[in-house]
Amino acid sequence: MSKSSASASGHALWSKMPKANTELFALTYGSLVTELIRDYDNADEVNSQLDRIGHSIGVRCVDEFLSKAEVGGINIPPCQTMKDTADVVARIGFRMFLGVSAEVANHAPDGSAFSLFLYDNPLSIFVELPTAEEAAVISGGRGGCDLSKIKYSNIYCGVIRGALEQVNLKVDCRFVRDV
Amino acid sequence: RHGHTMVRAPIPPPNMTVHSLHIFDRKGKTLFSKTYSQPAAMGQQQLRQTSQGPADEDPVDEQRKLVFGMLFSLRELVGSLAPEGEKGGLHSIRTGASTLHNYETLSGLRFAMYTTNDVGGADASSSSRRSSAAAESNVSVKSALKHIYTELWVESVIKSPLYRPGEMSTVGQSSSGSGGGDAFDIRSTNFEKKLDAFLQSMSWFR
Repeated sequence: MSKSSASASGHALWSKMPKANTELFALTYGSLVTELIRDYDNADEVNSQLDRIGHSIGVRCVDEFLSKAEVGGINIPPCQTMKDTADVVARIGFRMFLGVSAEVANHAPDGSAFSLFLYDNPLSIFVELPTAEEAAVISGGRGGCDLSKIKYSNIYCGVIRGALEQVNLKVDCRFVRDV
Repeated sequence: RHGHTMVRAPIPPPNMTVHSLHIFDRKGKTLFSKTYSQPAAMGQQQLRQTSQGPADEDPVDEQRKLVFGMLFSLRELVGSLAPEGEKGGLHSIRTGASTLHNYETLSGLRFAMYTTNDVGGADASSSSRRSSAAAESNVSVKSALKHIYTELWVESVIKSPLYRPGEMSTVGQSSSGSGGGDAFDIRSTNFEKKLDAFLQSMSWFR
């Protein structure tokens, strides 16, 4: 799909979706993560829970995505290469569900991997994760969760993994860098 | 010189009954299945009574698996026959007895509806009129299947918090079978009610 047509499709689909307040969304997600931290007290566990939650979401996203595209008369052709998949996920998928487009870059030479850059993350607008030293101070005596190791937006990884699993593509999705 | 005029009466609505609807997932499991017409229901009963297989195999289940197998193999065939660069899809299968309309999504969900062959027009000689009526009803079944997917399936099933794609409880599983406590049952959504209401509202559904 050409870039501009993909962006146009993404925008068209986004305009048809019911909207929620960004702040409500971000704060709800924040309280979810906070509860998880309280429950699990271990950064890796929290990350994997977020991934699992994202997986359930992703599984549902695919059918909704395909059906809304169908109704909107937007033709999503089956992807021939990983590059096509990346474009569809970033430009149409992210755009449709979140309202922000992700950028695709860093295609591996054999076409088996790519990077997504999300410049405008609606989930983390109010969030600041402590650095390693600050985290040590916070959880000092308790020996509990290392807050700096939490991947706050790890839910995205789960969503992408779940969604692509439904179209027979097994992927591994990881955060490389979170600002 | 012939003064041959074709008087075109308005095309009568296709007279067609829906026999049954099946929904399969990517892996071939039957997610939902319902028979509507009398002949189909009687056929199923007959199948149950005269089946000679092992006692724990439901013959209707076997039949559904065969339907899925047929759809799957034909799709492979159609795909390999399609010209280069065009994607081929299986639209419908028409036999002497009935027509099977098929709609597939990229996520592997298949909707298959059995209907009778439509009888569109009393005048048997105007074959062009009949084929256009047939084409019209074919198109409307396809769009009905699309509607079932986008409006009914996605809204009731996918959005249900209990939905889990790998663990759907398949139709026809015996209650003492391996359904498991977590398997998602379509009956917990109101998909069936909405489906019935939608089909009733279709003009060609009798």
